[in-house]
Amino acid sequence: MKKSELLRRMKKSKFFVIGLVIAVFVTLAAFTSPLFVVHDPIQSDLRKRLISPEFLANGINGYILGTDALGQDIFTRLVTGCRISLLIAAAGVLIPALIGTALGAIAGFFGGTIDNVIMRICDIQLSIPTMVLAITVMAIFGNSVPNLLLVLAIVGWTSYTRVVRGSVMGIRNSEFIQASRVLGASNARILITQVLPCVLTPLIILMSQQIGFVILTEANLSFLGMGVPLPNPSLGSMIADGREYIATAPWTVVVPGVTLMIIVLAFNFLGDGVRDILDPKNKD
Amino acid sequence: MEKQNLPVIEVRNLKKHFKVKNKGVLHAVDGISFSVMPGETLGLVGESGCGKSTVGNVIMRLHKATDGEVLYKGSSVLDSKGDESMDFRKKIQIIFQDPYSSLNPKKTIQSIMEESYRIHNLCSGNERRQRIEEIIELCGLEKYVLEKYPHELDGGKRQLVGIARALSLGPEFIVCDEPVSSLDVSIQATIINLLMDLQKKMNLSFLFISHDLSVVRHISQKVAVMYLGQIIEMAQTDEIFANALHPYTIALLSAVPKINFKEKTNRIVLTGDVPSPINPGEGCRFAPRCFLCRDICKTQKPDLKEVEPGHYTACHFYEESREKARELEAGRK
Repeated sequence: MKKSELLRRMKKSKFFVIGLVIAVFVTLAAFTSPLFVVHDPIQSDLRKRLISPEFLANGINGYILGTDALGQDIFTRLVTGCRISLLIAAAGVLIPALIGTALGAIAGFFGGTIDNVIMRICDIQLSIPTMVLAITVMAIFGNSVPNLLLVLAIVGWTSYTRVVRGSVMGIRNSEFIQASRVLGASNARILITQVLPCVLTPLIILMSQQIGFVILTEANLSFLGMGVPLPNPSLGSMIADGREYIATAPWTVVVPGVTLMIIVLAFNFLGDGVRDILDPKNKD
Repeated sequence: MEKQNLPVIEVRNLKKHFKVKNKGVLHAVDGISFSVMPGETLGLVGESGCGKSTVGNVIMRLHKATDGEVLYKGSSVLDSKGDESMDFRKKIQIIFQDPYSSLNPKKTIQSIMEESYRIHNLCSGNERRQRIEEIIELCGLEKYVLEKYPHELDGGKRQLVGIARALSLGPEFIVCDEPVSSLDVSIQATIINLLMDLQKKMNLSFLFISHDLSVVRHISQKVAVMYLGQIIEMAQTDEIFANALHPYTIALLSAVPKINFKEKTNRIVLTGDVPSPINPGEGCRFAPRCFLCRDICKTQKPDLKEVEPGHYTACHFYEESREKARELEAGRK
């Protein structure tokens, strides 16, 4: 597709524009946060616990979104937490996507024994509860971000494998694959130049949906104390921390909760938009 | 002089058997031999499931042959490896049946056309672009289609792209696997005439696989009739249509619709269905449906033999079947 056509379609897709604007805004805010936050995200001050949101009454130096039970500034923790959550989400989507796509493409393309082996490993993986797996990994290797990514990769790759395998099986006997073979293309070339472009659309949609899933999984794990190691903030652990005060200080839950929802929604919109744009059959 | 007489493609005793789970062995192609001379078209006809497409696929090495040889100007294609194998890829090409699935929906025509040059590392940049444009125009397409996606073109244009792709590496032999059967009649004519033009211009040889006898008659110099994995009759096109010897061919020809309504049509309607190609028995494969079947047909397989110069048939009783054909012809008048 030509660049101008791509741009035109991007502008035309409302989902894409809304998703992109929010995602870019959140990402920028999260990653430039050290430039504008005044409070320390980790330092607690029990004299200032559970202050309700002041918004901009005291300017940037006030507690814009209030404080939590430990007297930490929620706004500061929110943008810092977003940064950590987004980094984990990016890695937690890309790593399993790479592994899962490679395995799924191989399984679907070659079939036979190798397909059987990969899919049975997939089945085994799917029969292990996520939380039990996470507790096991964290218990053995300790609580850290790399280990969290390891858990996300082990949990996540199966969906990519299944989706990619299905798509590949649907096209592997197509005449255009045979045409490539007849022209002398090797299996590797066919997989990369013919098969992968055909699975890109479902892959991108799945990845965008997985961003939400990964952020939520990370939140779950953080809630159980197996996610981002304390005292670093993350959206998940902030929601978990505020849980006890939901009746008396609802902002402790509502602020990270709504932020989480907006981020997940934005990435889902972005994914749907990308699908509309990339589908050559989508004629306005 | 000798080179002149060397066939472009010679197929010797080609067999392709598929194992079917719990059922046995499916004899898709069972010992067929033919040769195609430079600039010649061999029509391969037969009903669905008789193995004609499998022949094409085995020649293209999309399936591995169970037995037999395919020779390109005397050298073996099926055993070739590495560079030699890549050279055969340039010289032997295929046009597929379904123009809707033979082009990658995610790629522009430009990118589809470039693939062959990328694979073989042939010319680049402007030269590549120029060659692609030449071939596209040779196939009766205009340059603008290069920027299109397959779904933006109609079936006929897509098939022309398929032909252009097959021509891109300068082949000498092309397997046409029912190239017009999924197109409507007006486009069929365009494609057929284009193929014949290209054949003259580039001295191409075709293996033209089809179930449409009128198309085959138009384009082929020689016709081979297949039934259940075997060639049962092969001769020059005019000879086959005027003087068919095998009972199956006679029945097949009698089923061709005629435009002249006054002419009485004496059809031979074959009873029964095509028997399963899984574990076929001894004897003639056509015997269960044949109107001339005797005991010997059920036990002894007739060989394909040259009964008249250049006319091969596999029938124990071709003399009688010729009589029958003449009777039909007489009855028609």
